[in-house]
Amino acid sequence: MTSHTGGSTWGRDAAIASLVLVVLALLPFAGDKGLVFLAGTLTLHVIIGLSWNLMFGRTGLVSFGHASFFAIGGYAFAWVAKVSPGLHPLLLLAAAGLFGAFVAFIVGVIALRRSVGVYFAILTLALGQIVYLLLSYIPALGREDGFTGIRRPRLALGVASIDLGSGDNYYYFIVVMCGVLAAGLWWVMHGRIGRVFKSIQQDAERAAFLGINIQAYRIGSFAIASGTTAIAGALYAPWLQLLTPEVAHWTFSARPILYTLLGGVQSFWGPAVGALVFAILEYGTRTLHGLSEIVIGSILLLVVLAFPGGLLGGLSRLVGRIRRNPPIAARSEIVR
Amino acid sequence: MLALLFTPLFNGLFTAMVVFLFATGLTLVFGILRILNFAHGGFFMIGAYLAFSLTRLFASDASTFAYLLISILAGIAVGLCGLVVERLVFRPLQHVDEAYSLIATYALLLISEGAVKAIWGVSFHSMMTPAALSGAVIVDDLVIPLFAIFIIGLGIVCYLLMEWILQHTATGKLMRSVASDPWMAGMLGINVPRFYSWIVIIGFFLAGLAGGLLLPNQTLSPNLASVFVVQAFGVLIVGGMGNIRGTFIASVLLCVIDSYGSIIFTEVPGIFFYVAMAAMLLARPQGLIAGARL
Repeated sequence: MTSHTGGSTWGRDAAIASLVLVVLALLPFAGDKGLVFLAGTLTLHVIIGLSWNLMFGRTGLVSFGHASFFAIGGYAFAWVAKVSPGLHPLLLLAAAGLFGAFVAFIVGVIALRRSVGVYFAILTLALGQIVYLLLSYIPALGREDGFTGIRRPRLALGVASIDLGSGDNYYYFIVVMCGVLAAGLWWVMHGRIGRVFKSIQQDAERAAFLGINIQAYRIGSFAIASGTTAIAGALYAPWLQLLTPEVAHWTFSARPILYTLLGGVQSFWGPAVGALVFAILEYGTRTLHGLSEIVIGSILLLVVLAFPGGLLGGLSRLVGRIRRNPPIAARSEIVR
Repeated sequence: MLALLFTPLFNGLFTAMVVFLFATGLTLVFGILRILNFAHGGFFMIGAYLAFSLTRLFASDASTFAYLLISILAGIAVGLCGLVVERLVFRPLQHVDEAYSLIATYALLLISEGAVKAIWGVSFHSMMTPAALSGAVIVDDLVIPLFAIFIIGLGIVCYLLMEWILQHTATGKLMRSVASDPWMAGMLGINVPRFYSWIVIIGFFLAGLAGGLLLPNQTLSPNLASVFVVQAFGVLIVGGMGNIRGTFIASVLLCVIDSYGSIIFTEVPGIFFYVAMAAMLLARPQGLIAGARL
């Protein structure tokens, strides 16, 4: 759908992004502290989902260890900020992202050598468990109690200096940074690299035959997605001011997968829609003991069984049916 | 001296058989339907909770006979859940992408977790080991709990029984033929959809049975569902994508390696399982027993 036509969706996507940013910017004036906190967390989750879909929807890689990179970024940020305070927060974010991408690169070189598909999924699952266990037992990282007392830093920007610890400043910082990250992901997906990724996802053998180094591009996709998630993790650490090993647990790795498949694989905004719907479901059912899981699970099941293309895939088919012109792309993604 | 050498071996074998008993139904369903069932852990947990309630209601005397009978009853109840799940979820999923069936089974895991929380609450429970199995065997300085010996024996018997059924009976040959080519099996007059129903029922029965049998060893809480799933997926893949023999060998190898590794490297217990798993997958991406179906 959107991916094949490249530039023509630029205007529409920019309009959607601006609208989302305006809503997020106005939110602190309309809602209370709790809502602002949820919105900040949701924004980070959107980045996790979007970056995961760079691997799955665009390159055909199923990573089941995405949360471990979120945790790696968060813990790296927290630890460096504690050991050498005074470093510029943007530098710290970049370092956390590069560290996450570096770990992904090393893992990718080894894991993607021969194994894709289910093997890659299970290998990344094993990686996730290793990270989870290490975080639970290393004393310097707080073990199972978690890494506590992570400060929100001061942001020095040339002449001005903003204290991210006061008011809603850190929330705005998250929104701006996530906007930058989402724009970066959009650019990667719709540029030349994105088209190479897409060709690998559609037919790896044929792509290799055309002279594309599929190995290198797969590693690249894995490293970009993981690095982006690591930055999201680094943004999350001072947001909650606490990190526990739970952020590396495999049930958290399942989140971006749920967001993507719930919202729709083919569309850029699919994971964002999925994350939003999931957050609403979670928030709406938070007081119901046990019913929360039943409701979320049933809705997920219903979406998978009734709209295998995700919510956006189902929507575009519905629109297509109204126009009496069913889009072929929406059909083919189900059969695939 | 004896304890130093053999305690980790018995601990490792015990864990291996726990993981294997958990993974048998998973292997069966994956081997034949190619569905990686996250919900297996959820239904294992439902089996354990059912057995817990039944024991409380009818068999507070902790006899071994009641323990076995209740486990089988829990297995049958969960097997019936399997029938419903097969009709409502697995059958429609036959024609969609693998990733979507993964999400569907994850949704089922959430539902079963929610059901357990709604019915039994979130508090922790535990159950006594049956009286006849609660002692220990002591050789020199080596202490082995009777229950561990029982589970190890049970795991081996279960493996041998399944191997015998699969390799030497008509039913087993039928199962292998459907696993290797469902289309051809259908052409030869086998009712493949009904066959799939039975496989899912048996797979779920095994989950419930394992839940009941392993109950005395577990702390019952809604977290139980996700405790073994990752390890079970690991042995399933290392074993070679859904064959019982591979799953058995992989369980033993990984758990014994982990058990000895945890003594040498005490800071992070449990990590060797995953390190060994990653190493084995890299050395043999096709799994220990490659190409075999079931």
